[in-house]
Amino acid sequence: MPFVVAHVLSAHHLTRRFGDRVAVEDVSFDLVAGEIFALLGPNGSGKTTTLRMLAGLIAPSAGSISVQGERLTQESAPRLRRDIGFLTEAPGLWDRLTVRQNLMVFARLHGLAQPHRAVDEALELFEMESRAGDRAAHLSKGLKQRVALARALLHDPRIVLLDEPTAGLDPGSAHDVRELILRLRDRQRVVLLSTHNLDEAQRVANHVAILRTRLIAVDTPAALKARLFEPRVRIVLTEPSQRFATAIQAAGAEDVQCDGVEMSVRVNGRLDTPALVRHLVQAGAGIESVVRVEPSLEDVYLKLVHERRGSS
Amino acid sequence: MSRVTALVAKELADLRRNPGVFVPAAITGFASLLVPFFVGLIVPVITGERLSDSSDFQVAAEMYRLEPATVRLSPEGAIQAWIFQQFLVMLILTPVAAAMSVAAFSVIGEKQARTLEPLLVTPITTVELLTGKVLGAAIPALALGFGVFAVYAIGVAVFAEAGVWRVLFLPRSLAVTFLLGPLASLASLQLAVCVSSRANDPRSAQQIGVLILLPIAGILAAQLLGSLQLTLGISVLIAVGLTMVNLALIVLGVRVFDRESILTRWR
Repeated sequence: MPFVVAHVLSAHHLTRRFGDRVAVEDVSFDLVAGEIFALLGPNGSGKTTTLRMLAGLIAPSAGSISVQGERLTQESAPRLRRDIGFLTEAPGLWDRLTVRQNLMVFARLHGLAQPHRAVDEALELFEMESRAGDRAAHLSKGLKQRVALARALLHDPRIVLLDEPTAGLDPGSAHDVRELILRLRDRQRVVLLSTHNLDEAQRVANHVAILRTRLIAVDTPAALKARLFEPRVRIVLTEPSQRFATAIQAAGAEDVQCDGVEMSVRVNGRLDTPALVRHLVQAGAGIESVVRVEPSLEDVYLKLVHERRGSS
Repeated sequence: MSRVTALVAKELADLRRNPGVFVPAAITGFASLLVPFFVGLIVPVITGERLSDSSDFQVAAEMYRLEPATVRLSPEGAIQAWIFQQFLVMLILTPVAAAMSVAAFSVIGEKQARTLEPLLVTPITTVELLTGKVLGAAIPALALGFGVFAVYAIGVAVFAEAGVWRVLFLPRSLAVTFLLGPLASLASLQLAVCVSSRANDPRSAQQIGVLILLPIAGILAAQLLGSLQLTLGISVLIAVGLTMVNLALIVLGVRVFDRESILTRWR
């Protein structure tokens, strides 16, 4: 019997126009339980519009969205939203209400059977019990974001949409949010996060998508790096590296870059790292260190976005 | 229904912590109370001339001395009863002003605080959202309106001639207070919520909502000029008209509340 992967959230050829302006064009992806999908892109690239369409807040001009196999429409949206938690770009708390009151309203709006218990559990999970009676206006930005996250997860949704969840947070708070995202993955939730923080995407996401109105690329971070960048090694020698450049080029090394005692070389099938080191030693070089150079997700992002800019 | 009550509870909790929003309504209520007491009780004291001595009020005195509830009143008491009943229409202004103050901020306030998007992502429907908003504003507005009526009635019972207070509890008076008042407030409130859904500024909503004051002021002026007698029949007729207006505003409210525009076009 073939193994069938059930898609929890699917987007097919999503397009959204605002008048003549195309905000999102032909975006497709399928997400399965336990997946964290990071949506990267410059400002105005359509990330928030995509999230709003997935949350059923705005309708696509073309294409479709399916939530656990059911098509998201204007009619089905109120029901399907029970399975969706959405952290909006701004925390959007009612400032004059306490933390508990803010959460209680949403627990009741989601029709939870035991709203008080759900709120208590959320307060405990987010370590906010001591601040439950504080007005939202008196909370720091990080705490507000934490309450907003608690609110988005209050009804235990299967799909969690996070619009820049760590924007403006201090490193400690951002770390807490990332830990929480990873816990959601462990609980088999689908998490789709839009972020400008490439390091964050690299740390938590199974897949990343680079959006610039259209999806430029979708893959795992490692696959994107491998696809766009050939592996390189950086070698630190005991003497100026330029002296040994000719010897290794003769052995088949490509794209040799020398800078003082450092040398950066692209490795390939003809000359792998051990062979390169061997040739250098044979040429009389003293080697201090050899490090494989890993391109960052930022390198991938910048390359893709700039390529796209150039082509458009 | 539980979603509506959740939203109403939120609106009321929010208003309890923002009493300043009722200041315009409180001022309106105070002014509405002051004018009839000034005309009916203070002016005769200042001028030393009783109202029954003035020929201007003779028609009112005769009319009210024929009423079963006020037949035993003195000429002065009959004129006071006429004044206090005519000015009941003015008391409607209090709940209308309160409703407008609250409702004008209902959607715009949420937009400005960026609290609307999280709200819209819940399973709440547009009808539930608007019902919650309208009830959340109507309940305190009507409570304030009825409170002002209670003060009015107590003031009349204490300061006016004995028995004048009975005129406030005639069917036509009760119709003004408990039928026209709430219906006018509801219409004003719905109008303000409709405008609030489309406007970017609460003042725009208030300016449109204030339109409901024009017919009220018109009725008051017509009564004082003697060209309209707000009988029970006329009150019921106006109530039917206001009910139709309210039903039309419910339909309009749902139509103009465009979630997409509110989220994407508003800045």
